[in-house]
Amino acid sequence: MNAPHRWLQNNPGLGDGPIPVEPYISPEYYKREQEKIFSKVWLCVGREQELPKAGDYKVKRLDAAKTSVILMRGKDMRIRAFHNACAHRGNTVVTETGEETFGASKAAIVTCRFHGWVYGADGALKLVPQESNFYDCFRKEDNGLAPIHVDTWEGFIFVNVAQTPDATLAEFLGEYAGHFAGFPFDKLSYEFTYRTYLDCNWKVAHDAFAEAYHVETIHAGSFPNAFCGGLENVKLMGPHRTSAVCLTLGATPTAVATLANSLAQGSLVAVRGESMLPPTLNPDHRPNFAFELSVLFPNTLIHVSEGIWFTHQFWPMGHNKTLWEGRYYVAPPTSYSQRWALEHAMTLQRNAWLEDTATMEDTQRAMESGAKPFQNLQDDEILIRHGAHVVDTYVNA
Amino acid sequence: MKLRLCSRGDLPTCEVRRFELADGRAVALYHLEDGFFATDDLCTHGEASLADGEIEDGRIVCPYHLGAFDIRTGKATDAPCHIPLKTYPVVEIDGELFVEGEKVEG
Ligand code: FES
Ligand code: FES
Ligand SMILES: [Fe+2]
Repeated sequence: MNAPHRWLQNNPGLGDGPIPVEPYISPEYYKREQEKIFSKVWLCVGREQELPKAGDYKVKRLDAAKTSVILMRGKDMRIRAFHNACAHRGNTVVTETGEETFGASKAAIVTCRFHGWVYGADGALKLVPQESNFYDCFRKEDNGLAPIHVDTWEGFIFVNVAQTPDATLAEFLGEYAGHFAGFPFDKLSYEFTYRTYLDCNWKVAHDAFAEAYHVETIHAGSFPNAFCGGLENVKLMGPHRTSAVCLTLGATPTAVATLANSLAQGSLVAVRGESMLPPTLNPDHRPNFAFELSVLFPNTLIHVSEGIWFTHQFWPMGHNKTLWEGRYYVAPPTSYSQRWALEHAMTLQRNAWLEDTATMEDTQRAMESGAKPFQNLQDDEILIRHGAHVVDTYVNA
Repeated sequence: MKLRLCSRGDLPTCEVRRFELADGRAVALYHLEDGFFATDDLCTHGEASLADGEIEDGRIVCPYHLGAFDIRTGKATDAPCHIPLKTYPVVEIDGELFVEGEKVEG
């Protein structure tokens, strides 16, 4: 039996009091988060694998940082990042078709469709139609795309829209980077993605995924008696945090799940091996270790397990509107039966995510009623407590 | 004089490649179903290398503004291009591909 208050004992600085609801419902608080967090820290915006060839690009909207970022791989194979804004009369250079817009250019250029200004993958303004009609004070050299700081870690692409970031990406990640170093993110490349808009604050979405307390109740349908072991190995690392989620051993899987699990490593609800885990994960070799649940501040959750990794991202679009993106990765199937087994795993996971997201808008509406100005957290909700604490520290810095 | 570009096996069908000639010009060599063709590599609308463009229905589509030219005749087919592209007959000798060019001075 674990001590019921062990995480508080390890982290007394976080306190044990109730957590205010104000930061979840206040438009004013959200403005400060935009300014002090999303316009200042490193944000994970994709994987290098999404841009395999020279000239491949992706534009991602970052409402919370009030811009859209073009990520483009140059002929030198380097990925650079720019604001999607034209130096002529301010149009978007790449016409966006949604939250993410993908494109490829053999010439490694992007062209503004308004008047045809052409920019290279290095950001330089390469061509202005009827250039001689502009006046002498206009210099092409001074009118390239506005760059955004970009860096990578373990194949993840990060941007920082600050003029001068307070920290390098490596400094920002700190101990978190080492915790996951060596996990084969690249090899587990078979992906499925769900995304939707939710009428809730981004922290409501974050919190719903940052604990395992909800599993026995809300996932009784998709994951019956699966993860009732609570959290283990909680580690708070600067603004980031991580923990292990454990399985309930001995629960009997359904017949179809048993078959699927025998064919491919796609489902979290199965006894997991450890061959892919860096030594920092499940250090005590618990036999019931299911997956590592970590929060990369501010809005990315990275989970890893033997043969599986998945992320949740919460992109604020207002104080009570959030774009949620869930991505799940496994090894590419090598046979039709494996393909089927992975479909089964993905469908299970999708059902669970539907159960998770289903509470979020209800939570927001009830919070906005003002009836309950505080929330009460138990010891296994330490990641939420830490999150609230970190956000508040940034916002009031 | 004849200027050598490459061997016919070097350029797969439906592909285009840029060659800089000894006399300073750059040509784009195209391999279509009915043979090899060559044009100036520089677009007549702006400073774009057509070899960075895509081949579509016998046309080369410029990567900068999606203007296009007929590869066989050089005629401008799609706006904003309107000035035709210079074309060069491609000669094949023993599997090697050549275009006609002026003799290099000096
Ligand atoms: S606004 Fe981009 S070319 Fe005019
Ligand atoms: S430069 Fe070729 S179409 Fe404009
Ligand atoms: Fe859940």
